[in-house]
Amino acid sequence: MNRRQFLSATTATALLPASLALAQGQGAGRTLTVGVRSGPESIDPHWSTLGGHIEALRHVYDSLVAQDENLVLKPGLATSWRAVDDTTWEFKLREGVTFHDGSPFTAEDVKFSLERIPQVTGPMSMTLYTKRAKSAEVVDPLTIRFVTDGPAPTLPNDFTRLMIVPRKIGAAPRNEEFNSGAAAIGTGPFRFVRWEPRGDLVMERYDGWWALKEGAAQPWARVIRREIPNDAARIAALKSGQVDMINYVPATDVASLQRDPTMDVVVGDSVYVFNVYFTLAEKLPRPAKVDGREITDNPFRDIRVRQAMDLAIDRRALARVVFEGLAKPMSQLMPDSFFGASPNLPERRPDLPRARALLAEAGYPRGFEIDFHSTTNRLPGDSALCEALAQQWSRIGVKANPNAVTGTVFFPASTRGEYSLQMSGWGTLTGEAAYTYGALIHGPDPSVGLGNFNRSGYSNPEVNKLLLDGSRTLDDAKRREMFARAAEISMNERPMLPIVMPQTVWAMGKNKLLFTPRVDQETLAQLVAPKGA
Amino acid sequence: MTGFLLGRLAQAVLVMLVMSVLVFLGVYAIGNPIDVLIDPAATQAMRAAIIRQYGLDLPLWQQYGHFLGNILHGDFGNSFVFRIPVLSLILSRLPATLELTVLALLIAAVLGVPLGIWAGYRPEARSSRAIMAFSTLGFSVPTFWIGLLLILFFSVELRWLPSGGRGPVGPLGLSIWTPEGWSYLLLPALNLSLFKLGLLVRLVRAGTEEVMGSEHVRFARAQGLPESQVVGLHVLKNIGIPIVTVFGLEFGSTLAFAVVTETVFNWPGMGKLVIESITSLDRPVMVAYLILVVLLFVVINLFVELTYGFLDPRVRAR
Repeated sequence: MNRRQFLSATTATALLPASLALAQGQGAGRTLTVGVRSGPESIDPHWSTLGGHIEALRHVYDSLVAQDENLVLKPGLATSWRAVDDTTWEFKLREGVTFHDGSPFTAEDVKFSLERIPQVTGPMSMTLYTKRAKSAEVVDPLTIRFVTDGPAPTLPNDFTRLMIVPRKIGAAPRNEEFNSGAAAIGTGPFRFVRWEPRGDLVMERYDGWWALKEGAAQPWARVIRREIPNDAARIAALKSGQVDMINYVPATDVASLQRDPTMDVVVGDSVYVFNVYFTLAEKLPRPAKVDGREITDNPFRDIRVRQAMDLAIDRRALARVVFEGLAKPMSQLMPDSFFGASPNLPERRPDLPRARALLAEAGYPRGFEIDFHSTTNRLPGDSALCEALAQQWSRIGVKANPNAVTGTVFFPASTRGEYSLQMSGWGTLTGEAAYTYGALIHGPDPSVGLGNFNRSGYSNPEVNKLLLDGSRTLDDAKRREMFARAAEISMNERPMLPIVMPQTVWAMGKNKLLFTPRVDQETLAQLVAPKGA
Repeated sequence: MTGFLLGRLAQAVLVMLVMSVLVFLGVYAIGNPIDVLIDPAATQAMRAAIIRQYGLDLPLWQQYGHFLGNILHGDFGNSFVFRIPVLSLILSRLPATLELTVLALLIAAVLGVPLGIWAGYRPEARSSRAIMAFSTLGFSVPTFWIGLLLILFFSVELRWLPSGGRGPVGPLGLSIWTPEGWSYLLLPALNLSLFKLGLLVRLVRAGTEEVMGSEHVRFARAQGLPESQVVGLHVLKNIGIPIVTVFGLEFGSTLAFAVVTETVFNWPGMGKLVIESITSLDRPVMVAYLILVVLLFVVINLFVELTYGFLDPRVRAR
């Protein structure tokens, strides 16, 4: 099937000498091969919210709203948007956009894409980003309105993940039709050629991409994204010249690649932060021990204990030792530049005498013993960080037993509330506070759909109100203020401790490619250029 | 003969049933697959809806009942992660693993049997000692480490062979039709064969040493037969049965679990698929895969037993 698809695609190109000549004029023949850690799970852009899935399919499809490299919103298939009233958003669409089959892009396609998501999405449900839009109304071919369930100020942020497929494919196609290429029609810079699960994703240049008309350069005739999950194998593929660049270079290999005269290394910030979560429930699922005997009290309910454990952490040392300098100390759950981050949360520096004093005041002069769980191989450095934290806490007498377990064990157990003290990474993928603080800090409340990843059980009525009101305030300035306030209160109460943000590293042949890293870690071929071209 | 085959078939079905129950219980003991599959930012309502959609809210025995019912209709279900039929997902990886395994076993057999016979025939020779030392390395040094060394030497330094992946695929889904395909195949096959090579050398040597001292070899020599015929016919036939047994078992386990080599060389085979399915708790793929593995072992064992009869007339008579 794939082979036939491929053959028919190549013959189709051969039969179109005009388009071929055009491609050659713009530097045809250039192929970019990228070794990536993970790839898509399907060619249907609405199947999954997984980072690697979205990233891969951004080559074939465009989202309604785009983001720059720091996740600030910018026009995508929509050129502008505004809130008409509390529950209605209006989006103006770009003129002159065509799908890969040549048909024009209109508001009907947007409506169709939005409505098909609940029918076709998988367990990584894309409805996460579309659930606020109750209905879509086509005003004219280039204007569409969305009615939301209450004020939805972050709808444009959510729609950075709303990718558009043409209405003419109809309701039937599922993953198989997309994977075969029959339904894989987008408006993006590349046409889909072939893919197989966990294998290569091959794409070729689409000369009708709208951004080309606006002066964007897109030098690649062909792009191959080769999925190589094993770190050592990915680096070997780069060094042996099988791929032009790779993503997610592990911190331990960065130094040797930097010394290599044939390699360039690019380092960028990420949206991920490692957080330690205290369980604040009356009784701990795995009780703390003092002098080897289990105690009934939960020491974490005393803010002085949480402060003491925070003061025992030397974040700069962790960044230096565990991440070889490729991490930044954090004092809130997302980077300072994101919408709703607080400017009033300075870097947290260690103070061991004060930590010991606080612990003694709280009634634990000799410390206590506790099980500490984290993921392993989920994010780079997670298990090493878990062990390093345990060592730092031991300096104030808190004996944390580090337990790094695979995600398959960690996440189900964490959901069941079996951990007393845990650490995992969280990425603020939308680039604004509602996504992160709503899920992690708001008290668990299914009725408003907030606190859905609140592992500590923290619930502060004042913070809850700020977060709920904030999620319903359309005025940007006011909303920013509310989230910053919620961040300050909650971070100072320390139900969870942000530790460090690991940076992301890419590597490529020396002086071969120009590449600006994005904080969402996406490696997009349309943003890579050959050097000296 | 028919009775024998039917007995084997019944045995296979039983083992497959036990296997599927074990996988169900195993995944259940780890936890709800949804907690791994779902977006962590999903709301409580979404989570509940997805659990219902995948039938994971049902008691385990009901989930298993559904699964069995579907299998009776020839439907192994869809992958949680890819939502494509697991059978086609697994079978699409079969050619890749098959060619890798067969080539690895061929390398092991073509090199291992003569080397082993030589080492058993002339146990005191310097060359035999070298062969034995090499065979010890073959199965004591970890596969992934040798794999990395092979890549470092042949791909990164010399740039003779690609460091990983698979070449262009031709008829039957195999990549052995072009020189480029072979360039991808060579290193992983060599890597995979080393352990088997070491094992085979030791096995053949031990057998040869034993048979060389036996009476029928002495008689053959006394008869004035040339040494080549003594070793090539009379010795080889007598050490055949243990070799075929181990060969069959190794073929099965390599086909099923070439995981390490496939990971290091990024070879798109079944082992890589199943290890990735385990890390994402993709239960339908895990269950179907292990059931197929059981089937595979049963079939291979059957062939091994049929080969016994061919090698040893006494077995045929029974």
